[in-house]
Amino acid sequence: MSFDLTPSDDLRQILDAAQTMLDTHYPVARLRDGSDDSLAALDEFGAFDLARPDTEGGAGFTLVEEAHLHVALGRHLAPPAALATAIARRIDPTATAALGFSQEDAWLWLPQPDTAQALIRVGNGLTLAPAKATETTPALGGTYAFAKAPPSQNARRADAATHLVAQVLTSAQLLGVAIGARDLALAYARDREQFGRPIASFQAIKHRAADMSIGIEKVSALLDMAAIATRDASPDAGFLCSALARLAPRTTVETARGAIQIHGGIGFSAEADAHLFLKRAHILRAFLGPDDMLEHKAPLAPY
Amino acid sequence: MDLTATQQDEAFRARARDWLCANRPAEPAPYDGPVSRTYATDWLARCHKGGWSGLAWPEAYGGQGLPPARLMLWYEEYVRARAPSTLDCTFVALNHAGPTLIARGTDAQKAFHLPRILGGRSIWCQGFSEPGAGSDLAALRATGRVEGDELVVNGQKIWSSYADIADYQELLIRTDPGASRHHGLSWVICDMSLPGITVRPIKNIAGVTHFAEVFYDNVRIPLTEVVGDLNDGWSVAMTTLAFERRTAALALQVELSVKVEDLIRLADAPAGSATSARLSDLRAEAAALRAMTWRTALREPDTPFDGSLVRLAFAELAQEIHRAAMDILGPAALADPRWSHDYLESFSETIAGGTAEIQRNIIAERILAMPREPRA
Ligand SMILES: Cc1cc2nc3c(=O)[nH]c(=O)nc-3n(C[C@H](O)[C@H](O)[C@H](O)COP(=O)(O)OP(=O)(O)OC[C@H]3O[C@@H](n4cnc5c(N)ncnc54)[C@H](O)[C@@H]3O)c2cc1C
Repeated sequence: MSFDLTPSDDLRQILDAAQTMLDTHYPVARLRDGSDDSLAALDEFGAFDLARPDTEGGAGFTLVEEAHLHVALGRHLAPPAALATAIARRIDPTATAALGFSQEDAWLWLPQPDTAQALIRVGNGLTLAPAKATETTPALGGTYAFAKAPPSQNARRADAATHLVAQVLTSAQLLGVAIGARDLALAYARDREQFGRPIASFQAIKHRAADMSIGIEKVSALLDMAAIATRDASPDAGFLCSALARLAPRTTVETARGAIQIHGGIGFSAEADAHLFLKRAHILRAFLGPDDMLEHKAPLAPY
Repeated sequence: MDLTATQQDEAFRARARDWLCANRPAEPAPYDGPVSRTYATDWLARCHKGGWSGLAWPEAYGGQGLPPARLMLWYEEYVRARAPSTLDCTFVALNHAGPTLIARGTDAQKAFHLPRILGGRSIWCQGFSEPGAGSDLAALRATGRVEGDELVVNGQKIWSSYADIADYQELLIRTDPGASRHHGLSWVICDMSLPGITVRPIKNIAGVTHFAEVFYDNVRIPLTEVVGDLNDGWSVAMTTLAFERRTAALALQVELSVKVEDLIRLADAPAGSATSARLSDLRAEAAALRAMTWRTALREPDTPFDGSLVRLAFAELAQEIHRAAMDILGPAALADPRWSHDYLESFSETIAGGTAEIQRNIIAERILAMPREPRA
C-alpha cells in the first residue's frame, strides 16, 4: 500500500521477539561490571541478516525493519560491534566486525572478543579490515584497541549504498540511546522526591523531558522516511540520510546530558547508568562521520 | 511502511501543480484590513471554483474528502508554488469553525454556514481569550444570561484575530455562573454585526492590525446559535483537537522547508564556514519537521496530545529560521519584508494557540504522564 507510516504486523512481531531477547541477554545493567559482551545471542536471533534476501540466507525483511531493530539495540546499549557487523555484512556476508574510527593516521576500535575484523570510519568513508592491534589505549567509553598504521592489505571500502545504510542504522542506534536515556531519567524523576514531592512535578524537569521527547520524535519520523527512501533507492535518500546523520547525534548527546542532570549527584556517579548512554552517544557520533547536508538537491525546493 | 506515490497520485500531484501555478495570485497578500479580506476571499473563491476548497472536509458537506496522503501532496505543491499563506482570515472558518459545526452543529447551522465558509463568503474569528483568561482559558468571565429564547451577553474578549473584518465569531462564554470552571460554558455563534458589539483593533509588533479587543454590552443572541448543548461549551471547544492534525497547519509546517531553501540560496555561504553549518542544521531540522508532518497526517496518534510535539517543533523552527536570517543576511534583511516582517511575526508562534510553556506542560503531563501542575 502506498503512503503508509503505520508499523506493519511483521515489524511489530520482530520487535516483540527482539525485546524478549534483549531483556534476557542485554539488560543495560550488564555493563556495570565491564565484563565482555558477546554477540552470540544477537547472531542467533538473526539480527545481522534481517534485511538479506531469504534466497541468500537472510530473513528477507528490509532496511526499514532492520532500522527499528537497531533502535531497540540502541536502547539496550547492545555491543557496538552489533552495529558494525550489520553494516559490514553488506561488504562481506560472513563478516563480524568491531566498531572503530580513525584519528590522524592511527585506527582505534572497541575490542570485540569474537571478531577478527573492524569496520573503521575514515573521513567520509568506511573501511572493513583485519583488526590487528599494536597496543591498547584508554578512551571515552572503555579501553580501545589501537593500530598505529592502518593495514593496507585486505581492506575493503564500503560503496555508496552501504554508506547510506550505515547512516540509517547508526542513527537508529543513536535514537535508541536517546530513548533509553530519556526513559531512565523519567523513571528516576518519578521516583525521587524532594521538597515533599516527586522531582518529576517540577517544571524545570518536565520541560527538559518534553524537549527530549520532541527531539526524539523528530529523529524518529526522519528515520522512518530516510529508511524507506534508502530501501527504495529513492532520489531523496541521500538528502534524507544526511539530515538524519546531522540531527541524530546532536539530539542524543543532548538527551544523554539531560539525563545525567536530572539524576543529580547520582548521575555523576558511575553507579547510575546515565553516563553509559552519554558515552555511547559520543562513540556512535564518531562512527557516523560527517554529513554533506548542503550538497544534495532538496526534495521540497520551490519552483 | 511505504511512501511511494502511485501513478494516480502522480497524476493528482501534476494536476495540483498545474492548477496552482496557473491560478495563484501574482501579487503578495496585503497584511491587514478590508483589502486583506478581499484578497483572501477572492483566492478561496477561486480555489472553490477549481474544486480545491474544503480538501479535508467530508464530501457530504461540500468538501473534497481527500485522504491524508493526497492532502499532503496538495500542500507540498501549494508551498512549492508559493501560493498565499493558508494562515489568513479564512483560516479560523475553514480549519476550526467549519469542522466544529460539522461535528457538533445542528442541521440548520450546517446548512446555513458551511457553504458560505467554503465559498469564501463568510469570515470567522475566535473569541476565547480574555484579559484575565489566556493560558488559563477556563478562567474566562464573559457571561451569557438566558432570557426567553435569547442569550444576553456581557463582557470582553481580547486577541481575537481578524475580528475587525469577520462576519461571525466562535464565542465561548459562561452561561451557568454557579458551575465551576470548565463546566457551565457555552460555545455560541456570534454575528459580529449585532448591536452592542464594539471592536477595538490592536496592532501587533510587525505593525499589522491582526487582532482586536471585543466588548459585548447586552448583546442578544438567539439560543438557536448555541453549538452543542448549553453549558457543554468546553467539550465543543475541544472537539477540533482531533481534526487539527488534518488542517492547513500542515502547509505551514512544510512551508518551512521552502523558507530554508530560500535562505540557503540568498546566504550563499562558503563550504565549511560556520554559516554553512548553521544552514545545514536548519535544512536538517526542516527535513525532520516535514517527516513529522507526514507522520502526523498518515498515522493515528498515540494520544490526542501528540500534536503538541509537532506544534512546538514547528514553532521553534519557524523562529530559528528567521533569527538565522536576521543574523546571516545582516542589514539586507532589515529592508526585506520577507525576512524582517516575517521575523517579527514569528514571535507569535510560541504564544498563539497555547504558549510553548503550556505545550511543554501538555507533553510532560499528557504524553509522558509526569505529575500534574497545581491547578486553580
Ligand atoms: C498572534 C496571536 C493570535 C491570537 N489569536 C487569538 C484568537 O483568534 N482568539 C483567541 O481567543 N485568542 C487568540 N490569541 C490569544 C492566545 O491564545 C493567548 O495569547 C495565549 O493563550 C496566551 O495567553 P496570554 O496571552 O494571556 O498569556 P499568559 O497566559 O498570561 O502567559 C504569560 C506567560 O506565562 C507563561 N505561563 C502561563 N501559565 C503557565 C504555566 N502554567 N506554566 C508555565 N508558564 C506559564 C506563558 O507561557 C507565557 O510565557 C492570540 C494570540 C496571538 C499572539
